[in-house]
Amino acid sequence: MSARRRVAITGIGLVTPAGLDAASTWARIKAAKSCAGPITIFDASGFSTRIAAEVKGFDSLPPIDDRKLLKYASRAHRFALAAADQAIADAGIRPTLQDATRWGCVVGAGMMTVAHPEIAAVQQAAAPEGELIPNNIMDEPVANDVMAFSRSLSTAGVSLLLRRFGIRGYASTVHTACASGGQAVGTAMRLIRRGLADRVLTGGFDSMISPVGLSGFCLLSAVSSDNDHPERASRPFDLTRNGFVLGEGAGFLVLEEWESAVKRGATIYAELAGDGNSLSSYRITDSHPSGDGPIQAMRRAIADAGATTSEIDYLNAHGTSTPMNDRSECAAVNAVFGERAKEVGVSSTKSVMGHLIAAAGAVEAGICAMAIRDGLMPPNANLQQLDPDCDVNIVRDVPREQRIGMALSNSLGFGGSNSCLAFRHPDETAALIAAGR
Amino acid sequence: MKRIVITGAGAICGAGADPASIVQTLVQGQTSVGPITAWDAESWPCKVASEVPEYNGGKLLGDRKLLKLVRRSDVFGIYAGGQAIEQAGLPAALAALDENAAALYSDQTGCYVGSGGGAFEVNYDYFPLMAETGDSLQKFGQELSNMVNPMWLLRSLPNNVLCHVSIRHQLKGPNGCITNHTTSGMLSVIESAWALREGDAERVVAISHDAPIEPQTLQYLNRVGLISQGALRPFDAAHDGCVLGEGAASFVLETEASAAARGATVLAEYLGGGDASEGEGIFTIRSDGDGLSRAIEAALLDAGISAADVGMIVTHGNGTEQSDCSEAAALLRIFGSAMPPVTAFKWSYGHSFATSGLLDAVVGLEACRQQVVPGIATLQKLAEGCEGLNVSTQSRAPRSNIVLILCRGFAGTNAALLLRAVK
Repeated sequence: MSARRRVAITGIGLVTPAGLDAASTWARIKAAKSCAGPITIFDASGFSTRIAAEVKGFDSLPPIDDRKLLKYASRAHRFALAAADQAIADAGIRPTLQDATRWGCVVGAGMMTVAHPEIAAVQQAAAPEGELIPNNIMDEPVANDVMAFSRSLSTAGVSLLLRRFGIRGYASTVHTACASGGQAVGTAMRLIRRGLADRVLTGGFDSMISPVGLSGFCLLSAVSSDNDHPERASRPFDLTRNGFVLGEGAGFLVLEEWESAVKRGATIYAELAGDGNSLSSYRITDSHPSGDGPIQAMRRAIADAGATTSEIDYLNAHGTSTPMNDRSECAAVNAVFGERAKEVGVSSTKSVMGHLIAAAGAVEAGICAMAIRDGLMPPNANLQQLDPDCDVNIVRDVPREQRIGMALSNSLGFGGSNSCLAFRHPDETAALIAAGR
Repeated sequence: MKRIVITGAGAICGAGADPASIVQTLVQGQTSVGPITAWDAESWPCKVASEVPEYNGGKLLGDRKLLKLVRRSDVFGIYAGGQAIEQAGLPAALAALDENAAALYSDQTGCYVGSGGGAFEVNYDYFPLMAETGDSLQKFGQELSNMVNPMWLLRSLPNNVLCHVSIRHQLKGPNGCITNHTTSGMLSVIESAWALREGDAERVVAISHDAPIEPQTLQYLNRVGLISQGALRPFDAAHDGCVLGEGAASFVLETEASAAARGATVLAEYLGGGDASEGEGIFTIRSDGDGLSRAIEAALLDAGISAADVGMIVTHGNGTEQSDCSEAAALLRIFGSAMPPVTAFKWSYGHSFATSGLLDAVVGLEACRQQVVPGIATLQKLAEGCEGLNVSTQSRAPRSNIVLILCRGFAGTNAALLLRAVK
């Protein structure tokens, strides 16, 4: 039997609170400088949490050269289009009429799809006293605006991307809360392995920094309310951590079948080598304190990559900075790696850019690829007092220069879905291929 | 490639609360489309839908406490998933294992869900707060915890069915929640089968669910011109749009070895699936059926069979001119004059979006197992562009025990599934 088709990461595009492209995001992350600040997108002064990590200066970027398409795009979709444009440009390849059916597209899309002014308009006309009067919907302008409907659809994002790049193969949208981005990228990798596609544009996009979006997390006390010290609020693994900081943005990758990427002389950041998924089947919001759930995801990703724990040098943790997540995740790291856990550098880049929810896993996949390229583990910001329950080898404050043979990225979602992706240094992959594996 | 079998099936929709009842409704030529009861829609231009009758969430869930954490769509999904899981005998098998074996069993049992999400309904929960606080977002923030259910976000998660079914049945394997609008359900089956083929799981529960019958969705669909004024008439000269439906469907898929080890009754063999997109916009469909043709070809290739092997076809048949005619073009291109019996089901139970692909597959499989291709009762005269389709108003026999199911959605997405019925 022939060796399995391998998958190369050849393009990265990022629009995050840390920067409007991959290079600036990576620079800010390496500097361990938090992006959290007071919310400016809307008046959050009455909320228990009034801070977030916003994408700044996005409107000053030149918009994509397709004005018609932008009418169908929400804030999160515009992040997605910009990040995908960057990824495609970075890869230096795009679908042609000849190979468009061999390109796929898999995205992790956020759950909040209606902009607040549109919710408010419908409420004022159709629910003036709070109770919906269905007949009032018929004459309400927003409820008759086909563009608003288009933007609200769960497939709005994938539709824009398919059209913009002329992709005509396998297309899917996934949503497993905070695991969405990781599961989208993992699914994309599998399409190439299965031979269903040769190249896939994949990523995640989200923006929940809106009244209703923020409300959901405030009601659950999941977000940090350190309103007076936003830059310190996201502090994964710190004993005093008290919730995550909501971020927004998009991350996109171009994945290619390895041999064809090599043949065209593409610059390969890393091999996307393994995808591990599991369900915690415990509670909606938590995994078990033992790490049950994330443990299986990490083990599956490592096994799927044909690797062993001894090959893993770096873990980009889910590390949300909530009390439960970080404890459970560290328990999982120790269960998976045992004694070797001491030698695995761990950091949560959410300490800098906050939690991008459905985009997080895809953005962090891009971060892992750049970490491998540069032989540099990004730092975990804001760690002052390590929680003894988070007994892992954390890359504190400054980047750690160290060649990374393999890296993992965790994304653990509300609802109990856990995703772990495994990445391999391209030289290691080349050596494996040369050895006939 | 590993053989994948189906050992459990479940469904609920306007036409029945299990697969056999739904097939009976179809064979009798009955529709479950009627006046909307979710609200008084008498003055609406489109006032019909197929609703699940006598909805009782607590009864369907068998757990009143859980009802506070989920929505109507989730209730359907948990219910249909439970049906399929029971039929497959998974709970009894799990209960018979010791602790270690049970842990392994759970780790090797996955779950893929196709979910509709529900863009507008979740926002309605904020209307009382917004009415109270008016234009002031400051007051909105201050009054939030007094007026909105603290569990709001958890109730609104698109991946709720995945979460609750996995907790209830201790599923801990590979998983996904696909929110790709109409093709979600069919993609959940395709992803499930791949998880089994690739050895990542031994058993997978595939579920799809949706409940789109609510005012804002209906109003939009009407504006886009997709909703019928009276009835969903697939491929008929009088077709004027689709009618909304709701519900859920489920399959338990497993490796042949897993089913044999349990002595499970095999309902079907999963042969293959395919997916292709057209990439021309959110509401645009190519008139030549290009994307659907490629999805069918991909499914045939995946299954390793030829078009001549197909015994019956369950079309997407959503009753819009654009979709019906391009679907006919794709079928004529691939099957030509040797077309097996073709049918459609949405005329009887409406279009339940994320549910529909898997619901059509569950019902199509049950029909094929009963050796019947239910007719399209609404058919009077074939529409221009649909001539040559091998359709009938009457029940017929399938040409073989292989059924092809088709599914199409917004964003020019298309999916196809091939199953071999086992009697």
